[in-house]
Amino acid sequence: MLHYLGRRASYSVISILGLLTLVFFLTRLTGDPSALYLPLDSTPEARAAFAHLNGLDQPVYIQFWNYLSDLLRLDFGESMRQHRSAMAVALEAFPQTLKLAFVAMLLSTGLAIVVGSLAAARPRGLFDRIASVVSLAGASAPDFWVAIVAILVFAVGMEVLPTSGTGGWEYWVMPIFVLMLRPFGLLVQVVRGTMLSSLASPYIKTARAKGLSRHAVVFGHALRNSLLPVITVAGDLATSLINGAVIVESVFGWPGIGKLMIDSIIQRDFAVVQSTILVTATAIFLLNILIDLLYAVLDPRVRY
Amino acid sequence: MKRAGIYSLVSAALMAVAAGPALAQGGSHDVRIVLPEQPANLEPCGSIVTNVGQVLNQNVTEPLTVIDAKTGKPEPKLATGWEQIDADTWRLKLRQGVKFHDGADFNAKAVAYSIERMTGGKLTCNNMAKFGNAKLTVKPVDDYTVEIKSDRPQPILPTLLSVVMVVSPNTPADKAVNDPVGTGPFKLTTFTPQTVVLDPFDGYWGKKPVVTKATYVWRQESSIRAAMVETGEADLTPSIAIQDASNPKTDFAYLNSETTAIRIDLAQPPLNDVRIRKALNLAIDWDGLGQLFGDDIQRASQMVVPGIIGHDDKLQPWKYDAAQAKKLVAAAKADGVKVDTEIKLIGRNGIYPNGAEAMEAMMTMWRSAGLNVKLVMLDVADWVRYLQKPYPAERGATLLQMMHDNNKGDAAFTIPIFYRSSGQYSVLNDPALDKEIDAAMAASGQAREDGFKKLFDKMRNEVVPDIPMFHMLGYTRVGNRLNWKPDITTNSEIPLANIQFKN
Repeated sequence: MLHYLGRRASYSVISILGLLTLVFFLTRLTGDPSALYLPLDSTPEARAAFAHLNGLDQPVYIQFWNYLSDLLRLDFGESMRQHRSAMAVALEAFPQTLKLAFVAMLLSTGLAIVVGSLAAARPRGLFDRIASVVSLAGASAPDFWVAIVAILVFAVGMEVLPTSGTGGWEYWVMPIFVLMLRPFGLLVQVVRGTMLSSLASPYIKTARAKGLSRHAVVFGHALRNSLLPVITVAGDLATSLINGAVIVESVFGWPGIGKLMIDSIIQRDFAVVQSTILVTATAIFLLNILIDLLYAVLDPRVRY
Repeated sequence: MKRAGIYSLVSAALMAVAAGPALAQGGSHDVRIVLPEQPANLEPCGSIVTNVGQVLNQNVTEPLTVIDAKTGKPEPKLATGWEQIDADTWRLKLRQGVKFHDGADFNAKAVAYSIERMTGGKLTCNNMAKFGNAKLTVKPVDDYTVEIKSDRPQPILPTLLSVVMVVSPNTPADKAVNDPVGTGPFKLTTFTPQTVVLDPFDGYWGKKPVVTKATYVWRQESSIRAAMVETGEADLTPSIAIQDASNPKTDFAYLNSETTAIRIDLAQPPLNDVRIRKALNLAIDWDGLGQLFGDDIQRASQMVVPGIIGHDDKLQPWKYDAAQAKKLVAAAKADGVKVDTEIKLIGRNGIYPNGAEAMEAMMTMWRSAGLNVKLVMLDVADWVRYLQKPYPAERGATLLQMMHDNNKGDAAFTIPIFYRSSGQYSVLNDPALDKEIDAAMAASGQAREDGFKKLFDKMRNEVVPDIPMFHMLGYTRVGNRLNWKPDITTNSEIPLANIQFKN
């Protein structure tokens, strides 16, 4: 196991370094930041001074060398927009996204497992049909539209929830609801499909022949064997949430890493772009390790 | 028993939900302002950036002078008076009895420090753009008198000083700050990724504002900002989209000092023919186009809004005359002008609401007039290449969508940039015109105003280097409990001292 973890970690470090190199050069291709940071009527001298202050007047390969040297000293650079450590900016935003993603994934996965299993227990029954319609609608509804409609209904119309922002539990309701919709919809479909396949297996027939209750058969035997594909899909969905729920963060004013990353790309805040990508890439690497470990827990045949 | 327990839980949850979110309303005089964007930083030297200025200007930090929104003239703030010693030098009398939030004294040395911090080149200072390349030296004469000398004549230095935010001498000179210390009626308490909070400064030299606390939050979506004011979560938002300004009781339109226009690259054929440039102005159905920007929109005849020194109220905007436009194009064609040369209309994505739609409509109208106009929409980084010198060599005939903001009270912030040969956005190269501009810039009082008016007249009627479109409107939503109206300065500052309460 330790050997496996070590091997995964070394591969991930190489991948992350490759990613950072790519991001470094791609961000430099987006153009000169002074066009965005200085007023349009700034003088060429002011632009030259800005480039010098931020080390942008040096050849790109020298900038890259400086970046790598700083990286070794854990100096991730300074945000040109916010005038403070780029890594501090990224680490301040990341927990906000992580909390949102964790709660949304926990609720949507838990709910999807229950709904998908019950739907598969009686295929083409009323519950199965309702679950299919709701999950398909959830998977295909545009986040942006759902978020705005939710605000109009619950905040402006009924005045029972705040429009946006962060604070007590009431501020979590709408962002979580909107964020859950797509994972819930997709996971219900996946759970239903894998459960139908498991329920048709010979070992289920044996379990039924032994006289086990329907609940014990569905949740005790079939579900456990159906969870591997569910975890694969859930892991993929969680990865996209960790990368940032940009739309939800933008609409609800949630100060997460997704919006920060997009804003930094638009504003050419190179150090912050690099830091946010480093943070999310590391988080995704850890998540993938966790998923691999879960495989081993759920399926005794999987060994590392 | 079990069921009763569940009912109790559900009832409690419903009651908690019904209690609703915390609202901005109430008996207190705390205000909550929702901005469109998070201030990236709170460096006073960058306070010409809208969302920084709307928090800091005249709240946390104060300038030496302020511009009167109605007259466009400089008024005293931390400087109480000024006189011009010679063409390059001004002497300022400073207000006495003023303290910074950190207890430091406001005096001539503090002013010298603030200006040297701005001009020292150790930090990026956006506000310095208003001074161009001028080198300023500041000499304290006594504790409350300073002399400011420039390396070139500065007839409107008091106006320019409205962008000099005076900071405590304890502010680092070599790095930008996010915790500004000024002399304003409010001091910064909190700046986080979610909020900025300002609390009153007890040692303020002036009249105590009615507002007892200001909390700034930011939401990118206009509809969310509007909803926040409607539900009472915020008291005002300085900017909402026209489609969200649907409540006449709370939503106010105001002239926001921005003028939209198309710049004509008159060095390139066929745009080097004045008949084509006039035809471009005549071919637009301005009333129809104005529908894109709302009923209250104002047509522009020049690149500054009314109220700016140099604006000529008598100058008429171009009228729509498609037949005359076609005639001018035909006459130019008859004289050998290649009117079928492709003209690139360069638009900028997101420059202002409905900006792309306006470009589509204008391209169609110009084509109807017989010109071969092709629209290219660019993002800001690419668009800037066409806006500023040096222009791309291979650009060909171009028309450039642009928007100019002059809220500094004087056409000096417009005319040399657009019309002087050395101007950063200029497509003109006329030494005689440069002399006229220099003369107007060096003049003061009525001669200055008349000089600028004459130049705008010349541009409108003889040179025609641009197509002024509209003086733009901003829309704000103001909550029911506030007594506050936006004005031309709202884009750059929201002084909390100007906010009153209805009850």
